[in-house]
Amino acid sequence: MTSSPALGVSGLTVRYGDTTAVDSLDLSIPAGQTVALLGPNGAGKSTVVNAVLGLVPTAAGTVEVLGGRPRDAVRAGAVGAMLQHGGLPSEARVGEVLDLVRRSFPAPWPLEDLVATAGIEGLLARPVEALSGGQRQRVLLAVALAGAPPLLLLDEPTSAMDVEGRRSFWTTMRGLAARGHTIVFATHHLDEADAVADRVVVIADGRLVADGSAAQIKTGTAARTISFTAADDDPLDVLPGVTALDRRGDTVTLTTGDPETTLRALLVEGRRLPDLEVRGASLEDAVLSLTRPIGADR
Amino acid sequence: MTPLFAFQLRRVARNRQFLFFTVLLPALFTVFFTKIFGGQVGSSAEYQSYAAGSMVSMMAYGSIGAALGATIRISFDRASGWLRQLRVTPVPQTQIVGVDIAVGALLTVPSLVVVALVGRFVNGVQLGLGAWLGLVAVLWAGSVAFVALGLLLGLSLDEKAAGGAMGLVSVVLAMLGGLWVPVEIFPESMQVLARFLPSYWYAQLGRDVAAGSAPAVMAVLALVGFTAGFAALAVLVARRRPLYAVAG
Repeated sequence: MTSSPALGVSGLTVRYGDTTAVDSLDLSIPAGQTVALLGPNGAGKSTVVNAVLGLVPTAAGTVEVLGGRPRDAVRAGAVGAMLQHGGLPSEARVGEVLDLVRRSFPAPWPLEDLVATAGIEGLLARPVEALSGGQRQRVLLAVALAGAPPLLLLDEPTSAMDVEGRRSFWTTMRGLAARGHTIVFATHHLDEADAVADRVVVIADGRLVADGSAAQIKTGTAARTISFTAADDDPLDVLPGVTALDRRGDTVTLTTGDPETTLRALLVEGRRLPDLEVRGASLEDAVLSLTRPIGADR
Repeated sequence: MTPLFAFQLRRVARNRQFLFFTVLLPALFTVFFTKIFGGQVGSSAEYQSYAAGSMVSMMAYGSIGAALGATIRISFDRASGWLRQLRVTPVPQTQIVGVDIAVGALLTVPSLVVVALVGRFVNGVQLGLGAWLGLVAVLWAGSVAFVALGLLLGLSLDEKAAGGAMGLVSVVLAMLGGLWVPVEIFPESMQVLARFLPSYWYAQLGRDVAAGSAPAVMAVLALVGFTAGFAALAVLVARRRPLYAVAG
């Protein structure tokens, strides 16, 4: 085993003309981890993936893949990727494409197992043009896995899949992670990051804004929600700590940055609080509070 | 034969349109033109000259179509995202271009050989064995200019533009280069224009060899010049816009 991480990014800056897509990003991913790059569209997730693959020129910083340059890691067959703008060739059959890609790697994944892992049984003889969107994504996954690469980079891999396709895709990914593959995937689906990743890296405006397990990210943001039943004429938005107020019927939900102070204020007034519930923020709340500037509109 | 070469060859061979325009159509034209116009000439020597000329033109026409058609496809592979996907496999980028050049060069052979066979056995063109072999050889060697042109177009243009350019360029090269109608019956100004087209010099190579002489130096120089020019431009374009760059 090598001591260098599967992926080492330091001070990475990528610019497109005057726009800075990624700004001084540091990220080190040890071998065997499953990491979600989470952030809204345009946050710079794809640019990070592309920089790691050597597909975009970097303005500053270094990227090391398995201790070497991105290009060399790709040429050595150490990396597999599902790209945002990747695709399959026309006038070819799925089996031919897989055969070609497998043969380009030094130690390809055995075909039968590859087909089962990617879930493309029965598609090998099919022309690429005849695949559905979800099937296409799974064939692209098989292409990414064809060389049994230690590092897998997946950029919005489930974008063309339905709910069922998504579920089985992530089951596959968990299996790969269990086999020791390092998996880095970009997504804006919080549920995917929450359910699959050991570690969530939140990116906004090209910067890393949070890094930890999904649970850590949820607790890392102070936001909590307090809900109870109250008459709709209660003035509640003047309470200390409250950042948002939501009324649905009789149910009031307060979002607060300081739940203790808010609760104390509520109780001091001698108010009754039927159906009281205090909850930690969901990953969605946490990420929104991290990626949206305070006080900004949607 | 690398796996990529076999893969690319199989893809083109699957394209019926490609085979129709590069092999079948030129072969049919050869018979059609020779039977109609060749029948009107008086002596058998005149017939031989007309039939050989028409055959050479159609060999050139088919081969140009094959060379352009095979290489311009690189634009389609960019548009589909396939070139970008290949970039994240160990396949070297230079091999991708090298294979497309080789496939383009190889696919001119069926056009040349089939039209020559039709010329010999359907139209009764009589040449010595050396002239037959020389004819196919010079036209095969000369096709490199159109392989380079196709690559240049395929690297520069997006999918739709490349499809349109393929049709337009091959018609312009064939019509104005004198492959459909002999240059001799063109008006003076168009005869001058033809000399600025690689297709004119390409057919000239073939006519010289079919007539039993060595190819004209001017024709050889012109084709070498066109090849070098197209190739240099293709390299420039590829430097500015790598194969894996996203279409658009």
